[in-house]
Amino acid sequence: MNAFAERLRRRETALLDGGLGSLLIARGLAGGEAPESWVLSRPDDVRRVHGDYVGAGSDAVHAATFGANAIRLARFSLADRCEELNAEAVRLARESGARFVLADVGPTGEYLPPVGTGDRRSWKEAFVRQGRALAAAVPDALHVETMTDLREALIALEALKESAPSLPVMVSLTFQRKKRGFFTIMGDALAGSLRSLAEAGADAVGANCTLASADMRLLAEEARAAVDLPLVIQPNAGSPEAREGSVFYSQAPEAFAEEMALVASLGVELVGGCCGTDPRFIRALRSRLDSKGSRS
Amino acid sequence: MYAEMKQAVVLGDAVRARQLAEGVVDGEGDVVAAIEQGFAAGIRRVGDLWEEGEYFLPELVQGAEAMKAAMAVLQPALRKRLGGKASKGRVVIGTVQGDLHDIGKTLVATLLSAGGFEVDDLGSDVSVDRFLARAKENGADIIAASALLTTTMPVQKAIADGIPSLGLAPRPRLLVGGAPTTAAWAAQIGAAWAENALRAVAVAESLVGASRRA
Repeated sequence: MNAFAERLRRRETALLDGGLGSLLIARGLAGGEAPESWVLSRPDDVRRVHGDYVGAGSDAVHAATFGANAIRLARFSLADRCEELNAEAVRLARESGARFVLADVGPTGEYLPPVGTGDRRSWKEAFVRQGRALAAAVPDALHVETMTDLREALIALEALKESAPSLPVMVSLTFQRKKRGFFTIMGDALAGSLRSLAEAGADAVGANCTLASADMRLLAEEARAAVDLPLVIQPNAGSPEAREGSVFYSQAPEAFAEEMALVASLGVELVGGCCGTDPRFIRALRSRLDSKGSRS
Repeated sequence: MYAEMKQAVVLGDAVRARQLAEGVVDGEGDVVAAIEQGFAAGIRRVGDLWEEGEYFLPELVQGAEAMKAAMAVLQPALRKRLGGKASKGRVVIGTVQGDLHDIGKTLVATLLSAGGFEVDDLGSDVSVDRFLARAKENGADIIAASALLTTTMPVQKAIADGIPSLGLAPRPRLLVGGAPTTAAWAAQIGAAWAENALRAVAVAESLVGASRRA
């Protein structure tokens, strides 16, 4: 068991990082360019963004492997560099000096019928291939994120358990707040989804993206009651807003940190941010967690 | 019979929707009423159920597919009846470059087509140049651009910035949408905005009206 798995087992609080894509855009990543491509073309920028999070107090950072499955990479003509890209991305995250490196595993971007023409077998192959590449790069854990279909999350989890059996696998779904509760866009309800993932062997479960911290706090309460596993919660920094032809998120770092400290106090072990959050958010949260003495 | 048409869309039954549409055409029934009071009423109900959190993406997509199946049968009859003037306007639609999400865009395309527009769907990951070139080629009234990521929203602005270079003012008008987009964003880049697929049809109608008046 690696040190991160041991930490999960002891149910200690860990502060994750925040958004990556928006920080790369600030460094010049063009709209429509794959963030993963910078792992190969602009490694120093990627390493520096990780380093900024480490400096802000993140215990763990996510390697830039979110879209590094062969199905998604094929859209950018990068599928044949899948192994190299996953290995390099984990190395860059490691070189930032982060205590723990989480390899990010995002969705294929396809949907199953009737919504799309995706196919379970090719998804499984793509996640097995990414899992093998990541296992060889030896991160501390794998984090399946931003899944909007429970079925795809379960396929990814199964594929990673097979291809990287020595690594803990965390799984976060993306929920929307509806009148009757929290659901994925495909209609998967919160509690049932997290229990399915727990039964399928996830080492931690939770939610990221779409919701801001206030809604995530409500979600976290329900999630905590639903499963007895480490929980991971990463909200967006409010809602996206336009300013001078660019896109910004509206929430102030302090407001985010205040709510996320409350999320942690509900017994959520892994807290961090998603779209729109940057090192200021993580720094603000770090100082709240430390002043509450939650840091282990 | 209209209630049955509505129900076929609400239940996402494309086979039944097609049969009912064929019944209208074969029996020389009222095509416009079948759309307005039958199939379109069904898709509006699907939209309401989505808003209420009763329906999710699979139900929404199946409802749109049923609508599409009916429209494939009804559209030729509609065109004939209106003497070739069935089109409310030409739309070039796509999801912007770098963005692979095309469910919302495809729904909008289906509904615009059902609403009487001629729709040219370029798919997803469409470059600014491709949007503009196709719009010029088609003499499009509207370019409809979807972005589902905050990282790809700026491509909508690039399209807006490129439209004057076509030299076809006041057309084509730009219509933007997608989960992270807002009315404020659209206003800032000089585009129209639709909050969801159903609203997109009404907004497109108002845009065509506006550019015809201009």
